[in-house]
Amino acid sequence: MPSIDHESRIKKLEKTIRTLTKKLERSEADRQQLEIASEDRKLVLKGIIKDLENSEIALKERRKELENALSNLKTLQLKMIEAEKMSALGVMVAGIAHEINNPISFIHGNLEHAYTYFQDLLRLIELYQQNYPQPVAVIKKEIERIELDYIKEDSQKLLKSMNIGVERVRDIVLSLRTFSRLDEAEFKSIDIHQGIDSTLVILNHRLKPHPENSYGIDVIKNYGKIPFVECYPGPLNQVFMNIIANAIDAVEEGLNTPTLPDKDKYRTPTIRINTEINDDLVVIRIADSGTGISEAALLKLFDPFYTTKKIGKGTGLGLSISYQIIVDMHGGKLECSSSDLGGAEFTIVIPLVQSLGTSN
Amino acid sequence: MLKTVVAHSEDPDSLDAVQEVIEQCKNQLNGTEPQAGILFAAIDFDFSLILEEINQVFPNLELIGCTTDGEMSSVLGFQQDSLALMLFCSDTIQIRAGVGHQVKENPIDAAKVAVEQATQKSSEQAKLCLCLPASYIGEGLTTSGESILKGLKLALNPEIPIVGGTAGDRYKFTKTYQFFGSQVLTNSLPILIFSGDILFSHGISCGWQPFGRKAVVTKSVGTVLYEVEGKSAVSFYQDYLGDRPPRAENPLAVFDGDSDSYYMRVPNTHDSEVGSINFLGDIPEKTVVQITDISRNEVIAASKISFENALKNYPGEKPTAALLFSCCCRRWLLGTRSKEEYELVEKTLDREIAVLGFYTYGEFAPLEPNGSTYFHQETFVTLLLGTE
Repeated sequence: MPSIDHESRIKKLEKTIRTLTKKLERSEADRQQLEIASEDRKLVLKGIIKDLENSEIALKERRKELENALSNLKTLQLKMIEAEKMSALGVMVAGIAHEINNPISFIHGNLEHAYTYFQDLLRLIELYQQNYPQPVAVIKKEIERIELDYIKEDSQKLLKSMNIGVERVRDIVLSLRTFSRLDEAEFKSIDIHQGIDSTLVILNHRLKPHPENSYGIDVIKNYGKIPFVECYPGPLNQVFMNIIANAIDAVEEGLNTPTLPDKDKYRTPTIRINTEINDDLVVIRIADSGTGISEAALLKLFDPFYTTKKIGKGTGLGLSISYQIIVDMHGGKLECSSSDLGGAEFTIVIPLVQSLGTSN
Repeated sequence: MLKTVVAHSEDPDSLDAVQEVIEQCKNQLNGTEPQAGILFAAIDFDFSLILEEINQVFPNLELIGCTTDGEMSSVLGFQQDSLALMLFCSDTIQIRAGVGHQVKENPIDAAKVAVEQATQKSSEQAKLCLCLPASYIGEGLTTSGESILKGLKLALNPEIPIVGGTAGDRYKFTKTYQFFGSQVLTNSLPILIFSGDILFSHGISCGWQPFGRKAVVTKSVGTVLYEVEGKSAVSFYQDYLGDRPPRAENPLAVFDGDSDSYYMRVPNTHDSEVGSINFLGDIPEKTVVQITDISRNEVIAASKISFENALKNYPGEKPTAALLFSCCCRRWLLGTRSKEEYELVEKTLDREIAVLGFYTYGEFAPLEPNGSTYFHQETFVTLLLGTE
C-alpha cells in the first residue's frame, strides 16, 4: 500500500531529523567545550614554558654556584699548599734558629773571656817590655814581624766588632724565632711592635743599600703607646711580612723604572710604619713611597691569585691570605689607600681584645 | 554455550530508540530467551520508559545498566546520545544481577547487599563480577570508586576479578543514573555475577604522558590533596593552567616509591580558599606526583594495546563478546577521533563478535591476569567473555 510506504518513509525521515538535530546540538556543545579546552591548553603550554624558563634560571644559578665552588676549592687547595709551605718553612726557620742559637750563645759568652785573656796577655807583654827593655834579637825581630803595636791597637776593635757581629746574629735568631712563633697557634697577648721589628730584622738585607738599590730604604717608625694585643702572633707576623715585603717591592720598582715621569719622587725610598690606639682598636699603617696601586688593581687587590708582579715573582696569595688573617681570624679590617709618600698605604685594624672584634 | 546479541540505536526519541533496540535483539535472538543484559544509555533519555519497554518484552531478564558519556557497539561503533543493549543467553553460564543502595554513604554495606543478592540466585561459585556503580549523585557529591572496590573485594572471594566502570552523565559531572531490572536508581551499585563454565580475560592501557616537574606530596588526606612541596595543590596546577581550575584533562601521575611506573588520579572538585583539590581516588602523602598531558595517538594506541592484551590472555579460542570501558576524558580529548578507539578494536578482531562499551567516570580491572583489581582513571579496559 502506497500510504503505508509514505508513512514509513515519513517515520524514517522524522527519525533522521531527530538524530541529526541531536547530533547538531551535541556538536555545538562540543565546539564550545573545545574552545574552552583550547584556551586551557594554551595556558598549559605557557605553564610549561614558564617551568622551562625557571629551570633554566635555576640551572644557570647552579652553574654559577658550582663554578664558585670550584674556584673556591682551587683557591683553598693553593692556600693549603701555601699554608703547608709556610708551616714547613716556619718549622725549618725555628729549627735553624734554635741550632744557631746554641753555638752563638757560647761564642757570645766566651767572647768576653777571650777579650779579658787577650788584654791580660797584652798587659803581660807590656810588663815584659818594661822590665826587659832590650830583648834578644830573635824576640825583637818577631815583634817587628807581627807588628805588635798594631795588634795592640787593632785587637780591641776586632773583638768589639766580633761582639757586634755576634749580637747581630743573636738578634736575627731571636727575630726568626719571634716571627715563626710555632708554639703560638692560639690567641696570645703580645707586643705587636716586637712582631713588626722582628719582621724588619728579617727583611733588613733588602732595606740596606745593595747593588740594585744604592740608596737603601729609610724605615720611619712612629710607634704609639700600645698595650699588649690579643692576637694570633704567628699569622699576624705573616701579615706584616707580606705588606712590608710588598712595600719594598713597590719602592724598588719605582727606583728601577726609568720611564716613570716623576722619578725624583722615588729618590728618597721610604717605608713608614705608624701604630696607634683608636678606642679599643689597634691601627697599624704601613705606607711606602713606591709606585702606588692603580684604581683597577685596588678593586681586586685582596682577590686570590691577583698579582701585578712579574710571572714567578708573586703568587697573588699574600694579600688574600693577609685579608683572611685580619678579617676572618681577628675580626678586623684590612684596607688599602694612596699614601702621602706617593705609594700605597695599608691600614690594619684589629681589636685590642678579641671579644671586641669589629665584625661582631 | 554463550550467545550474545547486541543492539544499538541513535534515535534520540526514547520510545523509538528502545523499540528499535528491542527489535534488533529479537531479530538476532531467534526466539531464544535471554538470561541477562547490560544497558548503556545517554543521559537525555526517559529511562523509566525504556526499562519498562524492555521489561515487557523480556520480563525475567537480569538487567543492569547505567548512563554514560558515550556508547559504543559492534552495531553502530562509537556513538553519543544513543541507547545500546547487550543480551546474554546460555545454559551453562549463570549471570545474576544484584544491587546495593546508598553507595556513597555506605559503600561496604551496599557492595555486600549487591553481592549477596546476586550470588543467592546462582547455584554455582562466582567467577567474575561486573559492576556499574554511581559516580556523581547530585549536589556536587560523588561516590568513592576505591571504597566501592574495597566493599566488593570484601563481599566476594578475593580472587574474583572485578571489571566495570562508573556511570557517566555526558561530561556534565552532576548526576548519574543506574539501572537494575526496571528500576532507575542513583547512588547505587548494580552488579552482574558470572558463574558456571564462563571463560574471560581482561586488558588495560592508558596512554597519558607525565610532563613538567616531579614534586612530592607534602599534605593529603584520602582523596583530598592539600599541598605539593609546601605549596597549595591549586597553585601547583596553576603553574601550568594559570587561573583556570584543575581539570580532568590533566590528571596527576602518582609515582609510588622510586618506581617509574605510575597510576593516574583525576582532579574532581577544588576549594580555592583552602587551595585543596579533591581527586577521584586517594593520593597518599610522600608520593611523587607529576602533571600529565596526552598525545592523541598514544591514547588511541592504548585502546588497541588493552584489547590485544585481553585477547592474548583469553583462555579459550573464540570469545563471544567484548565489553569495553573507556574513560570519559579519553573521549573528550580524542574528540572526533574517539571513533578510532572502537575502530582499532574492531580491526584487531579477525571475526565478528558482539561488542558493547561505554565511556565511564572511572574503570575497574586487575592490572594483570589473576592480579588484584584496581580502580583506574583515564584507562581503557577490555573484558572478553565466552565459553569456547
